[in-house]
Amino acid sequence: MSNLAMKSEEEMLEQFIERIEAGDKIEADDWMPEEYRIALIKLISMHGISEIMGALPEKEWVPKAPTLHRKLAIMAKVQDEMGHGQLLLRVAEDLLKPYGKTRSDIMQDLFNGDLKFHNVFHMDTKSWGDAGLIGWLVDGAAIITQTNMLGSSYGPYARALQRICAEEVFHAQHGEAIIMALAEGTEEQRTMVQEAINHWWESLLMFFGPASKETTGSSKQDITIKYKIRKKTNEQLRQDFFTKYIPRILSLGLKLPDPTMHYDEEKQMWIYQQPDWSEFKKIIKNQGPRSQARLNLRRTSYENNAWVRDALAATTN
Amino acid sequence: MAEKTFYREFEVFSKRTPSSAFQHQFSLLAPNKDMAFIMAQENFMRREPVADIWIIDREHIRSMNADEKLTLGRLDNKQYRTTKGYGYLKKKWRHYEQQMLDEKEILSWGGNSK
Repeated sequence: MSNLAMKSEEEMLEQFIERIEAGDKIEADDWMPEEYRIALIKLISMHGISEIMGALPEKEWVPKAPTLHRKLAIMAKVQDEMGHGQLLLRVAEDLLKPYGKTRSDIMQDLFNGDLKFHNVFHMDTKSWGDAGLIGWLVDGAAIITQTNMLGSSYGPYARALQRICAEEVFHAQHGEAIIMALAEGTEEQRTMVQEAINHWWESLLMFFGPASKETTGSSKQDITIKYKIRKKTNEQLRQDFFTKYIPRILSLGLKLPDPTMHYDEEKQMWIYQQPDWSEFKKIIKNQGPRSQARLNLRRTSYENNAWVRDALAATTN
Repeated sequence: MAEKTFYREFEVFSKRTPSSAFQHQFSLLAPNKDMAFIMAQENFMRREPVADIWIIDREHIRSMNADEKLTLGRLDNKQYRTTKGYGYLKKKWRHYEQQMLDEKEILSWGGNSK
């Protein structure tokens, strides 16, 4: 009989906490408390499916991109996002094993609304300025949240993020290149960037989630920090985002959509107007401007491609 | 129906150049080995150079459980197995006005092997 089997649940938990406190990495087959497993499944399946749903608003811009070079670049980015989705879903699937769940269950959960995807990917894109802004600021925000988890206590997630963040560097520069070209362009092009910032501002603030569960009724940040899955709180990440990106936005001669926004030297933080968090709740319940259209697209392609899966599954060697 | 056999788990290894060692990349789901090769390139090798790829059905990997991993710890008393145990020679050779032939020096004798 194995030594582990003789240990009580409490001893196992104690040993587990000691391991993560010591900076050890937890692997898929290791014992872990249920609370840890569930927190990881929620976080990583949401992250993975958001990569896939996030490819949809960008894919809309492949045929509309202004030059061949831009088309190729945005197509490469869409392909990366799908690749990130594949990596992350693998991590989630290994965690789901004890529950007998597979990728088809994740897809079904997405379709029936049990599995949420990131608020920004429920929004519509109106112009090429929006496409550039997604790369620059939405990916910028994603880089802030993802690098915050590079040291995650869960080994497979940390390794997936390492690969993902390396590619995000390309995404951020791709977005900067589009924005830079527009910001240095005609009056009409500059207006396009300003309108994109105005259009995405609230979504960007919401991206990091509420500061505390008092705002929206629930928040997973306490559990994920407790288990060293992530380091900083939602608000700390939002503040980091402001510090990194606001000087850049202003340097291009663009205006912040929130005229009251300023840095408070004494408090050492950015003071800004809160977005409408009731709107956030609505959006992540799949009631955003493009939620249903994108879910339908995903559903239709899943159903239409079922025959391909059937055909491929017939050859198992 | 295909869902049952479509999602097989493969571990992917690859090497960057003909002379480098295989490195674990990640895992993927594929219905068969041919698809696993395609998915491996699509998922993990979109940018980095690659000279060879291995895919291994996870069922064929025997990995260690937590108890077994505990047996991997080493006692710190085997300096004679490493160059650390012979570090004092450096000072000795200096006395004879000779340089010690250390790992860096010896491995450099093959020239640039890359």
